[in-house]
Parts: sequence; C-alpha cells; structure tokens
Amino acid sequence: MTANQQSNEGPTVKHRHRVEGPEKHIVVFIFSIVLTAIAFAAVAAGGINTAFTIILLLVMAVLQVFVQMGYWMHLKDKGHLMPILFMIGGFFVASTCIVMALFWVWW
Amino acid sequence: MSHAEHVNGELPHEPEKATLEGRNKVLGFWLFLGGEAVLFGTLFATFLALRGQNNEGPTAAELFSLPITAAATLILLVSSLTSVFAIQALHRHNIEKLKLWLIVTVVLGLGFLGLEIYEFYEYVVHESFNMKTSAFSSAFYTLVGFHGAHVAFGVVWISLLIAQLYRKGLTVVTAPKVYVSAMYWHFIDVVWVFIFSVVYLLGKVG
Amino acid sequence: MAHAHASSHSVKRYTGIMDWLTTVDHKKIGILYLIAGGFFFGIGGIEAILIRLQLIKPMNDLVSAQVFNELITMHGTTMIFLGVMPVIFALMNAVIPLQIGARDVAFPFLNSLGFWTFLFGGLLLNLSWIMGGAPDAGWTSYTPLSTNDYSSTHGVDFYTIGLQIAGLGTLIGGINFLATIITMRAPGMSFMRMPMFTWTAFITSAMILFAFPAITVGLVLLSFDRLLGANFFDVAAGGSPVLWQHIFWIFGHPEVYILILPAFGIISEVIPTFSRKRLFGYSSMVFATILIAFLGFMVWAHHMFTTGLGPVANALFSIATMLIAVPTGIKIFNWLFTMWGGQIRFTSANLFAIGFVPTFVMGGVTGVMLASAPADFQFHDTYFVVAHFHYVIVGGLVFGLFAGLHYWWPKMFGRMLNETLGKWTFWLFAIGFHMTFFVQHFLGLLGMQRRIVSYLPNQNFDELNFISTIGAILMGIGVLLFLANIVVTTRKPVGVAADPWEDGRTLEWSIPSPPPEYNFKQIPLVRGIDAFWKEKMAGNKEMTPSEPVGPIHMPSPSILPFVMSLGLFIAGLGFMFSTEDFSNSFMSLIFNKYIVLIVGLLITFAAMIARSLYDDHGYHIEVEELEGEGKA
Repeated sequence: MTANQQSNEGPTVKHRHRVEGPEKHIVVFIFSIVLTAIAFAAVAAGGINTAFTIILLLVMAVLQVFVQMGYWMHLKDKGHLMPILFMIGGFFVASTCIVMALFWVWW
Repeated sequence: MSHAEHVNGELPHEPEKATLEGRNKVLGFWLFLGGEAVLFGTLFATFLALRGQNNEGPTAAELFSLPITAAATLILLVSSLTSVFAIQALHRHNIEKLKLWLIVTVVLGLGFLGLEIYEFYEYVVHESFNMKTSAFSSAFYTLVGFHGAHVAFGVVWISLLIAQLYRKGLTVVTAPKVYVSAMYWHFIDVVWVFIFSVVYLLGKVG
Repeated sequence: MAHAHASSHSVKRYTGIMDWLTTVDHKKIGILYLIAGGFFFGIGGIEAILIRLQLIKPMNDLVSAQVFNELITMHGTTMIFLGVMPVIFALMNAVIPLQIGARDVAFPFLNSLGFWTFLFGGLLLNLSWIMGGAPDAGWTSYTPLSTNDYSSTHGVDFYTIGLQIAGLGTLIGGINFLATIITMRAPGMSFMRMPMFTWTAFITSAMILFAFPAITVGLVLLSFDRLLGANFFDVAAGGSPVLWQHIFWIFGHPEVYILILPAFGIISEVIPTFSRKRLFGYSSMVFATILIAFLGFMVWAHHMFTTGLGPVANALFSIATMLIAVPTGIKIFNWLFTMWGGQIRFTSANLFAIGFVPTFVMGGVTGVMLASAPADFQFHDTYFVVAHFHYVIVGGLVFGLFAGLHYWWPKMFGRMLNETLGKWTFWLFAIGFHMTFFVQHFLGLLGMQRRIVSYLPNQNFDELNFISTIGAILMGIGVLLFLANIVVTTRKPVGVAADPWEDGRTLEWSIPSPPPEYNFKQIPLVRGIDAFWKEKMAGNKEMTPSEPVGPIHMPSPSILPFVMSLGLFIAGLGFMFSTEDFSNSFMSLIFNKYIVLIVGLLITFAAMIARSLYDDHGYHIEVEELEGEGKA
C-alpha cells in the first residue's frame, strides 16, 4: 500500500458485519453512575474517616476511568496497543507531577 | 483525499478506519490525548499543591455545592453515553441517528457549560472569589476553567461536524472526524471524573 | 453522499515565494527549519559573543547590567528553542520519511503548521529587543524574579507568550513524527530494523509529547500571574515560587534529553558509514535510548538540590541521575566498538562525529559530579555548571548537528559541502570550543558565579576569562566558515549521486540526491537492518520494490498554516499588552478591550474551520510522469 494514498480495507466478500449493540455501554454507564453515587454519598454523609474517604474517592475515580476508557473508547479492543502505551506514558508523567505537588512543594 | 470509497455501493464497515488518513487521524489523536493527560496532570498537581492556600478568602468546603456538581456530572456522563450511541449509529451507517445523537450530545454539553458559568458567576459576584483572591482561587479557576474551555471547544467542533454531515453526508472523509471528536468528548468526561473527585468532593472533605 | 475525483480538477501548484509559504512537503519544510534555525542560531551566537566580550576582563562596562541580563536570557532561550531544536527538526524532516521508505509524514499539513508556529513564536520573542526590552530573568525564568514584582517591563511576557506559540509547533511536530514512524514504514521494516536515527527520532518525539504540556502549563501559570493577577507564585497570597521550579524542570530536564537523543542518532549513522562497518550492539542501543528517555523524566529535581527539598528527595534524585550514565555509557562503548576494526574515513562529517565522543563524555562525567547533591551545593550557580551544560549541548548536540549537516547535505541539496572548508570549520570550532569552556570548569571551582555582569580583579578569574573569550571568537569564525562553505557550495551545480559517500547503508541513499517530489517511485521492500546495505551485499544496485509503478497521490499545498500562525502571533501581542496603560485612546481601545486578542484568535479559528470544511483533494502524479523522470 502506498503512503498518501487511500485504500479500502473493507471486506471483498460481501457479508454482514455484526455491529455491537449498546448493552455493554449502558452497563458501563450504570456502573459509572453507581461509582459516582458512592463517592458523592461518602462525602455528603460526612463523619467517615478522612483518609478512608480520600482512598475511596480515588478508587471510585480510577475504576470509572478504566471502564470508560476501556469500553467507550475501545481501549480493550484489539489494535489499540499504541494508544494504550501512550496513555500509560501520559499518566505516568502526570503521576510524577502529582507526587511533586504532594511531597515537594511545602515543607 | 476525499474519494468516497464504496464497495458494492456501500460504505465500508468501520468507515473511520477505511483509509490510511483515517487511521492516522485516530492514532494521532490518541497521541494528542497522551499529551493532554500530562497537561491536565500538571494542572491537577498545581491545584493539589495550592488547594489549602485560601489567603483569608473562601475555602473549598465553604464554596462548593454538591447538588450542582452532581447535576453537572450527570449531564456530562449522559452526554458521553450519547456520543457512544452516535458512533454506534456511525458504524450502522445510520446518518439520521448519528446526527440526532450528536445534537443531543451538544445540547447536554451546553447544559454543562451553562451550569458552570452560573457557578462561576455566583462565586465571582456573590462570594468575592475570583482569579485574584488567593492561590487556591487561581488554581481552581485555571484547572476547572481549562476543562470548561475544552468542553466549549468540543461543543463548537461537534456542531461544525454536524453541519458537515448535513452538507457532505457520511463518507470515509467525514467519519474519522466524527470518531475523533467522540474520543475527545469521552476524554473530557474522564478529566471531569477527576475534577469532581479531587476538586469538589475532596474540597468538601477537607 | 459526496463523491470527488481528483483527476477532474486542476492541480494547485505554486512557484517562488508562494511555493515556500504553502508547501506541505517534508523536504521543503526541512529546509525552512534549517534556514530559520540557522538564522536564530546566528542571533544566539552574536548574543554569546557579546556576553564573552563583556566578560573578557574584570569590571568591564561594554554593556549595562540590564542588557547583560537580557543577553544571557535570550542567548539560552534562543539557542535552545529557536536554534538547535529547529535544526534537529530540519534533519528529522529531511531524513526520517526517506529512512523509513515513506513518501511524506503522516500529517503534511500539520508539519507545515508546526514550522510556521515556531517561526512566529520566535519572531515574537525576538521582537522584545525593540519593544521595551527582552526578557531578563534567565532562560529558566524563576519566580519571583519573573513576576510583576521584580520584572515590570514586558520582557517576560514576550518569553511566556513567544515560547508558548513556538512550543505548540514543537508538540505538533512530535505527534507527527510519532504517527509517521508507527504507521508509515515500508513493508519489511519492523521496529527492530529501523535505522538508529529513526529510533532516536521516535523516542525523542515521545519525550516531546510528554514534556511540552508541562511547560505549556507553566507558561500559562506565569502569564496568568503577570497578566490576570493570579497568585500561583505570589507568596503573600499563598503561592509557591518553588512550584515554578518544579514545573519548569519537569519539562526542562526531559528537554535536554530531547536535545541530545537525535544527536546520538546522528552519530549512530555517521560512524558506521565512515567505518564501513555496521553499528555495534544495535539492540542495546535501542534499549539504552528507551532507558535514557524513561529515566529522564525522573531526575528533574537535580536542578533544585539547594532549594531545601531535604535529604531524602535529594538522595533519590542523585541516584536516579547517576543511573542515566549507565545506558549512556553503553552507547559510548558501542560507538567505540563500531570504529574498532573498521576502515575509517576522516570526512568532515566523521570528524565532528568522532570529536563528539570524547567531548560528550567530558560533559557527561561532570554531570555525574553535579549529580552528587552535597557536591552540587558547591557547584550550583557557578561556572562549573555552565561548563558542564555547554560541553553536552555544544560539544554534544552541536557537534552532532554539524556531523549530520555535512553528512546529509548532499541528500538535501544535491551538492556536497566543500571538504577543506569543512575540516577548517571542525578544527576552529572544536579548538575554540574547548578553549571557551574547558577553562570554565576551573572558573567555577575557583568560585566565579553564573549570570554576573562583571567580576572583581585579582580573584584568579582574569586570565581564564580572557582565554574563554578568545575561544568564543574562534568558534564564531568557525561558524562563519561554515556559512562560507554553504555559499560556495550553493554556487555549484546540482548533481550528486544518490549515494555520494558510496557507503550508504540506509534507504535515503537509494534514491536520487535531492529526491524527487514523491521520494520513492516504488516503495521498497526491506529485508533487514541497514536495508540498502543488505541489498548491496546481495549484489543489487537498487532496492527491490514492494509494489508496481502506479499513480502517486500527493497532498495539496496550503496557505492556512501560515495564516493560523499569524493569527496566534497577533493574539499573543493582544494578550500581552492587554494590561498596558496607553496614552493613545485608540490603542487603549483595541488592546485593553481585548480586541486585538480576539481578532487574532478569530483569524486562527477561521483558518481552522476553513481547513475542516474544504476537503483537500490532493493531486496525482501519473505513471507517464514517473517513467519520464526515471529516464532522465
């Protein structure tokens, strides 16, 4: 295939491609709502140990981000090695910034 | 580069990936999102470092309203779902549904922006909480404002794409643009998950 | 559904200046980067000469302290961002698509946009000289020196906004080369068969992607403090000056590896070619490059040992910094082992490459000395540091760039640079370099501070400073000889072999010099590392094609990148002067009411919308045209 030239990688044999239904995505949506609700409830209720609340918030957030990026953004599907590698790279550098902010700005 | 590739008169199965340009656009956009992760990471780091520095001005716990934050979160989350539906319509080559779900996404995005503008207005006018108030306020407005600016850009972008779909239809040229805009929209919802957790909820916890 | 057929519309082709303003061809964009980068390198060089002339003797008064601070700030900023980085991009643009067997980069339009944003950002930054004064807070622009409290002219605004615009261009370029190398390699070229220059370009581009967003945020924070009254770095309102240092160096340290990795790649091309021997230890070279890049993001606070982070942080960053010496050492040994037993030709390119090796090692070992936090308390802010980084940036990167320019000049321009002039350039520049910077190690150890406009006599600084200045003048003459070489060479007719060094190993040497517009008539089939060498050893004069001859589709030129960058330039000026007190009421209206800012942004957005709405049909080069060229 030459660069700068379009090509059609579609099937040459005419058969129907099964397009996935919305079920998995709706499950992800409901899961996200539940995680969000737990996070909000933990804070609204008050009276829960602060350190535990913080960890809970982070876990809820990370879980939600994982499923949204995996399913809605198709990272779990094949052909996404480079996107995964570069998102990991981005999150890694971002996490060094967070460590900087938490430990090495005030003393 | 705008040949509409048709096999037996039909659009290819995943039209956004049917051309080299389309695949390059999708990969290029993932790379851009990797960079955006660092951009927002640095903004979050700045916020985390300065969140306690309220300079005798309002603190997070005093300012933030959980109901408004919850409403904004719900709106953005639903809009992320509707953009999923839009892409599913794209894969089914159903341009009418595609346009419909994109319009819903844009409307929800506008709703989110409206809420945020209202929130900022209240802070600035009624709470004396603006960019100059303290280090915390500067960090808040910059982080949340950058996210809001991203939402606004997305709203304009997707609106223009809807217009393009009306004019040119769904082709192997317009499909990658729509797919990439949906990736962008999901990403700003992902960033919002961290914002409501780290800025608003953590702010209320103290 | 829209149908469009490229063959049925007229081809948009420009000539002359419009050709260069609208080109999306990576080869032309490479030349644009080289010219612009060379121009700014010259400005940075003049700034350096002026600095050294001021320091030639104690208590000199050639320039005022204010001007001196502007000179050192602009020298560093210009050289790094506007001088050497564009030349790196020039070589990457000129060479990478050819080395991987591609016809252009993944995003030709964005490639052009990257160049024009760099150029307009650099112009904006340098306009400061004639618009109220250049930035004067050092290339690192530490707060609070760079905030309104201590820096009340617009100098630092030119820094934040000019670099912001130029930095966008670099980020765009990084994404472009990543996508290109991932998706557009010729059939048979797996990752582990790529040339080393391509590998280092790939890793460098990944570093750019992850490092530049941090400086983007830093510049935003500083410009918000200065222009919007924000408090990120204002201690009274709860801000933290150390935060700036962290954010700057989280970008700044990877940045210096972004600078040196391409040079490593160039050395890995030049030394094997002129030793007639394959690179020793290819896999370990790749692995070492990746390790250097990864570690490069974990060592930034070694620039902050004296800020008070504490012994634990200092220890962690010390150790991490010293670790980087290991993969770097692997590279040095691999280059030496490559040369060992080879048939070495001392061309100008190879002189620079061989000169690189010991010089960079000298810079590297002083780096390990600086990495020791307790020792650094003595070295910090002295000329010892200045000596170290000039050894690695000039003795490393710039030597590498000279090697690459001499090596690839015939491929880019169809002419060979004059070898005699090249050798004179090398010896003058190298001797001048060591004269200038070797003595600075001792100046630092004797206690001479950095960034001082003058020094008192009788501290044992005088003779060493004098020698350093003479060395700088020699370097300047060397650079002028290189310019003379370019002039002399440009007068020669174009017409050099595809493989003028006769020992080319990689794909760029398998096509004419300079290449035709479409690079490869037929994309080649790659059968191993050093793809062209492999074919030569099998007795073939040319690469085996991987496809039949067919019409080639090319992207259309466009003026939009120029327009978008111009819009950002105007918006930058508009933002910068939005808080200015104007006596003229018209100026007050258009700046204080943000009209200039908005107009600039609208120009950019309008161009972006135009780009999205009007499809680029491109044009075809038909088979008859291709066959005709082959017979020339």
